Amino acid sequence: MFESVSKTTILAAGTGADLPTVKDFLPPEILFQGTPFAINRIILIRIVATVILLSVLALTASHAKLVPGRWQSMIEMGIGFIRDGVVYSVMGELRGKRYVSMIVALFFTILVFNLCGIIPGANMAATATVAMPLAFAAWTLVQYCWAGIREKGAWGFIRDECFTPGVPWPVYFLLAPIQLLELIIVRPASLTIRLFANMVSGHLTLATCLAFAQYWVFEASNKLTGVPVGAMWLVGGLIMTLFEIFVAFLQAYVFAILTTAYINLSYPEE
Amino acid sequence: MVTLAGGDGISLFIPKLYDIVWSLVILVVVAVFFYKYFMPKFNSIFDERAEKIEGNFSKAAKAKEEADEAKKKYEEQLNGARMDASKIRDDARSEAKQIIADAHSKADADAAQITATAQRSIASQQQQAMVKLKGDVGTLATSLAGKIIGQELKDPDMQSHMLDQMLDDMENEGKQ
Repeated sequence: MFESVSKTTILAAGTGADLPTVKDFLPPEILFQGTPFAINRIILIRIVATVILLSVLALTASHAKLVPGRWQSMIEMGIGFIRDGVVYSVMGELRGKRYVSMIVALFFTILVFNLCGIIPGANMAATATVAMPLAFAAWTLVQYCWAGIREKGAWGFIRDECFTPGVPWPVYFLLAPIQLLELIIVRPASLTIRLFANMVSGHLTLATCLAFAQYWVFEASNKLTGVPVGAMWLVGGLIMTLFEIFVAFLQAYVFAILTTAYINLSYPEE
Repeated sequence: MVTLAGGDGISLFIPKLYDIVWSLVILVVVAVFFYKYFMPKFNSIFDERAEKIEGNFSKAAKAKEEADEAKKKYEEQLNGARMDASKIRDDARSEAKQIIADAHSKADADAAQITATAQRSIASQQQQAMVKLKGDVGTLATSLAGKIIGQELKDPDMQSHMLDQMLDDMENEGKQ
């Protein structure tokens, strides 16, 4: 029974269900087409999400009281979680103080952008094009270099990065390029791809579940098998939605903690 | 599925120019918002709150200190009062003893004085009695003598003898 269902499922893929494709992530430009300020669906989601996020936070901040209400407590809990649980626990308070704003900004923004993936109407994470995670990763890289240069000076920073102290010099021929590659390519790429790929796969899985549910319930010719199978896909979609909420939090947290860890690496060992 | 597998998935990883532009714009806006407004605002609230809580703590500590001090003072006063009371009690006791002793000695003195006075008065009365007696005896003697003399003075020896005897008797009486 199960085998036959899965066989027909695969068949259905080829025949009728409106499955998600790569094109979902490359939607057509809808405004300012052809210019560097062109806007497509995902960028529109991103802009709207930003406006909403900043408006809500600005409203919260402007109405913030010494004795917080429920909503303010929740925001403060988020700030406290990132400050104490991420930044201070990785860097310590003395070093971390400077980066709390950045990490909190990253966490809140990525969280809200990720959650757009399950918000009806948007149905697409605002972090689901490569440029946005890349921009976040670039910010991390800039902060990393800046922190290192401020601590050791420009030359000291580059020397320590490429020519790790305490290694015999012939090794540098091999080590220096690897170090540089890791700094400039590998770390930002890992940050970017981890977040981006999570959002892409999340959307594909969720959209697949819902597309099959739609197909089996409404379009399959045999309603007797179609409705139960479609219901199963719908349940799958529900579970995936919950999972995506979890992933949205998790990826925002992971991005925040890895950014903190990377920036922390730029300091000299004590 | 077919589309995904065979499609140009790699194009996903090549950012479009406008995508980069908008991402950076949003990044800058978000960063400025968080750095310039959101975090300073909340940090000031956190600081203010911490200060207030600390202030309350120190206020409470001060109040406790004051209470402790007041308690100490009160206890000191209580102790002082207790000591004063016991001192007063002791004083009163010793005073009472003194008074009783004084009364005793005064009573003794009075008794002695009364005794002495009584004795003196007895003595003086005795003296008076004696003097009166002597006078009476003299008178009696004289009259007696007159009588005796009238009858027996004819015998001068007898007369002399009687007088001597009477004088002796009187002397003996006085001695007794």
